[in-house]
Amino acid sequence: MDDWGQLLRAANAGDSRAYGQFLQTVAPVLRGVIRAKGYGLGDAGCEDVLQEVLLAIHLKRHTWQEGTPVRPWLYAITRYKVVDAFRARGRTIVLPIDDFAEILPAELGPDPTEASDMAKMIGMLDGRSADIVRKICLEGSSSGETGQALNMSEGAVRVALHRALKTLTLLRNRHVK
Amino acid sequence: MNTDDLIRGLAQDTVKERALSAILVPGMAVAVGFSMLCVWFGLGFRADLLQSLGAPVSLARFLLTGALGLIGLRLALILARPDGRSRANLGWLAVVGAVALGLLAWAYVATPADGRQMAFVGKTITKCLVMIPLLAIIPVAAILATLRRGATTVPALAGFVAGLGGSGVAAAVYALHCTEDSPLFYVTWYSLAIAGVTVASTLIGARLLRW
Repeated sequence: MDDWGQLLRAANAGDSRAYGQFLQTVAPVLRGVIRAKGYGLGDAGCEDVLQEVLLAIHLKRHTWQEGTPVRPWLYAITRYKVVDAFRARGRTIVLPIDDFAEILPAELGPDPTEASDMAKMIGMLDGRSADIVRKICLEGSSSGETGQALNMSEGAVRVALHRALKTLTLLRNRHVK
Repeated sequence: MNTDDLIRGLAQDTVKERALSAILVPGMAVAVGFSMLCVWFGLGFRADLLQSLGAPVSLARFLLTGALGLIGLRLALILARPDGRSRANLGWLAVVGAVALGLLAWAYVATPADGRQMAFVGKTITKCLVMIPLLAIIPVAAILATLRRGATTVPALAGFVAGLGGSGVAAAVYALHCTEDSPLFYVTWYSLAIAGVTVASTLIGARLLRW
């Protein structure tokens, strides 16, 4: 429980490895919650919702107050986004917060599920932003390498990536609903 | 795209948003400063401002509205966090309301029967009901802007708190000008103005603060 807080604190201080580790740690737990609640959506649908939740956690990570427990914060975001996502897909769901603790993480290991929403949304970004997101996410390039490939400074790539992730959330809110 | 790819991308994004208090505090400083300038140059401070602070019933206007403003700001910062609902103690707002009602009841008893009507109606109802909402626009906007950068899971409630806090601050600033010292006047009409702003802010919050 405390390790999540340590990882997130390091992440918020700019340690991107700790941050990746944090997201890798919480993703299976959240996947378990979403699958347990959303059996009608299918695995790919659940993965779409999970990615929506992860993006929300990412863009709102500055709202976590250092020193407070991570779990209530994380579950509050998840709950909000899951209820929202299900409502957008024409289903209502009741999600008592206490449930979260009892749900086991989905099986670990590489996740084979390809989510489809995100690819669609990336296609709606402008060309350069889409290139940046694809290079960094799909090809695993660093922002430095991406900058070289696209003839941009590393700093400009970082800012563009941040903007692109924000835009993806907006596109999602507009198009999935 | 699978989730591992997304996580890899998210981890690369090291651009971090500013802390919420780092947005609210300067925003409110500007809002309060601007409102004061508006009152100072637009309406003028009341001539006997300093003496009036010595009179408890007059001073109570600043204390009540100021308390409402501070509690509203504090609650807004708490509700801006996703897990804020369980941490926010809304009871403080009820305390301010109860003290205001108590003061109103006391003033009703303490004011001679033939003077009540005059104290209640005063001379500046219209100005009060127009100026407090106008002065509240910028403070409420500053609080809503902060909340929007946050991640509230209770958009309408957050809008409600923003409305109370922002109009509380606005009423405190307006009290620098207003010479109506009877609680029969100010508890009634300030409250009505604050209630109007709060209803609007709640409706705006319910739409604007979704994310």
